[in-house]
Amino acid sequence: MHTLESDFARQQLQGLVETLGDCGAVVIEVVDCGFSPEAQIAALDRVLHEAPDAVISLPVANAAVAAAHARLSAAGTALVLLDNVPTGLLPGRDYVALVSADNSGLGRIAAELLGPHLPEGAEIGVLGYDADFFATDERELAFARWMGQNRPDITLRIARFGSIGVAGEAALSLSTAHPGLSGLFVVWDTPAREALSALARHGWTAPVATIDLGRDAAVSLASGGPIVAVAAQQPYEQGAVAAQTAVLSVLGQLTPDWIALPGLPVTLANVVESFQAVWRRPAPPEVLASLLQKPGVG
Amino acid sequence: MPVLTRKDEGTNARGPGRPRACETASASLVTILNLVRTGQATTRQEIERTGEFGRAVVADRLALLTELGLVDESELGAATGGRAPRLVRFAADNGRVLVATMDQTALGVGIADLSGRLLMEHHEPADLTEPAAAILDRMTSLFDWILSRQSGPGTAPWAVSLSVPAPVAEVGRTFLFETPSILPGWEGALFVETLVRRYGVPVWMRSSVETMTMGELHAGAGIGCTAMLFVKVGKRIGAGLVCDGRLWRGALGAAGLIGQLPVQAGERTGTLDALAGSEMIARQGQVAAEMGRSTLLADLQRRHGSLTAVEVSHAAQMGDQVSIEILSQSGRLIGHVVATLANAFNPEIIVLSGSVAQSNDILLAAVREAVYGASHPLVTRDLRIVRSQMSSSAGLVGAAMVAVEGLFAPPMLKAWILQGHPTAHPAFAALRERLDGLPAAAAAQGAPRDGRV
Repeated sequence: MHTLESDFARQQLQGLVETLGDCGAVVIEVVDCGFSPEAQIAALDRVLHEAPDAVISLPVANAAVAAAHARLSAAGTALVLLDNVPTGLLPGRDYVALVSADNSGLGRIAAELLGPHLPEGAEIGVLGYDADFFATDERELAFARWMGQNRPDITLRIARFGSIGVAGEAALSLSTAHPGLSGLFVVWDTPAREALSALARHGWTAPVATIDLGRDAAVSLASGGPIVAVAAQQPYEQGAVAAQTAVLSVLGQLTPDWIALPGLPVTLANVVESFQAVWRRPAPPEVLASLLQKPGVG
Repeated sequence: MPVLTRKDEGTNARGPGRPRACETASASLVTILNLVRTGQATTRQEIERTGEFGRAVVADRLALLTELGLVDESELGAATGGRAPRLVRFAADNGRVLVATMDQTALGVGIADLSGRLLMEHHEPADLTEPAAAILDRMTSLFDWILSRQSGPGTAPWAVSLSVPAPVAEVGRTFLFETPSILPGWEGALFVETLVRRYGVPVWMRSSVETMTMGELHAGAGIGCTAMLFVKVGKRIGAGLVCDGRLWRGALGAAGLIGQLPVQAGERTGTLDALAGSEMIARQGQVAAEMGRSTLLADLQRRHGSLTAVEVSHAAQMGDQVSIEILSQSGRLIGHVVATLANAFNPEIIVLSGSVAQSNDILLAAVREAVYGASHPLVTRDLRIVRSQMSSSAGLVGAAMVAVEGLFAPPMLKAWILQGHPTAHPAFAALRERLDGLPAAAAAQGAPRDGRV
């Protein structure tokens, strides 16, 4: 895994291990690569000597980890990838299947939910990720495509951040360069939190859409904004499906080479049940408290 | 050898008397670059041995190729007793190839390096019944977006390569000079002209069956094969032929149109497309669902409103008897045609592709049965019949390989190698000059609006 520190990764792992356990498959090792390509390459090469039937891996980089993943596959291990495919790896030859969220669908959902909050002729910001990363690229493309097709009156102003730490700065620069922005889309929730924290100091109140229903995004949704729309991934389901795919592959069954799980559209109206569905635990008390203060909601 | 400058090398025309140094050099440069590029030689010693060149010639040509940014000798190889040899590598990172695939329901775009390795890809739904200008507009928007995401040296495009859902008639052996006829309703489309003007690089175009065949040959089940038969099963059924390790296109690029062949199913006679293609599979599934012959198909139809060939394939994979029979019938018809080709052509591998073929075992089994039953024993002795696993990437990888092979084909390469960039090819320079002289309206196709991707 890229990390075991985040809720998202822990949910994915839970879905994986529980499903593998249900199938009678033994998990011999779980590696936290700490976002380090070197650590992932070392782990993959070490696992290679143990000759497992299958490896489920979330590549932490692109070209840097491609060869290590390909070596594993060439040695006969069924390789199931999570979230993204390292550059140059091809289905069938280098891996069995990619299991990810439908990132294109997530971008489209965010656009569909944000659209009604935008006035005619609005100028809105798109805060993308400045890295060669398939998932965020797909979200950005799909968001822009939906707007182009369904709201041609809207002008998109695009800025990108290279790391979460500078997302706030990027959002501020964008807002300064285009002071008339009446909405914002950020490609996932953690940089959205950074962006909103920076923008709030300058009086930002316009609607925001993002991907993933983190705790802060849920609280913002429940309190009526600025986040008004979230397209949520389902990490537990992703883990469970990756495990099923690995088992089927080991059994010699055909599997699709790309399995994309649909995202959940989340607004103020369904934030509690969506939080429970995504995280498999009750929504935070702040979310419930905010909703209880709103007549007719919850 | 004298230092070659751009000024010396602007023309192919040869004057009287002894050939100029650059003209004699270009033949050996082409050979050496292609030996390195294709991995046939990775050290100076291997180039001398494989290419039958003297040491001084190899040293001189490599110095020039390094100066042009086409090879790199910075890495050391493994020593075999003495000093470690310097590895000679093709500088595949020195340029990019923009690739796009268009099929009936999807548009795929990507970018590859000069070895054809795909670096980024994106697929989205598309409707090819839309006007060509709309498809081109979306394609160029996505190309622009992909290029905007590239950083560092060597990220400028060297070529554009397109995969289209129809045969591409091609005259000549280099890049395209104008947009050939592609689909009915797309007459007058300016794909080639627009892309040349927009990106300033040569454009190649092949049918989707041809690009998928190239993808399978270079990155899939066909790696290392010299004789391969690739069969794509979709609404149309087409074959890609690989002879001596190269795609065989025929006289006009129409080789492998097996979907047009007449076949007989029971009392019905029709083309292979009509009696075994995905439309027939979906239609028969629909009929079976409506007549109550399959509860699984009826259930799928209730849920989705209609049935596709892929859903019938999934039902077959799940053991639905009616679906199995529909796919078996289709597989037998395809198999008999493929067997005829196999007997004529003696491939070492037959690869079945397309979503119907890739989502179940039934079609593959039926084709195998028909081919083994109708072929000479020698034809099937070592024959492998497999299902492609490359999915939608095959077309993009193949399109990249079409452009790479086109850029570095000796007749093409000879005309630009001394300048180090394919845009220096005299015929391409003339094409650009001609297109740049056209009215601006001709360039309007595919120009995306500001702020859109």
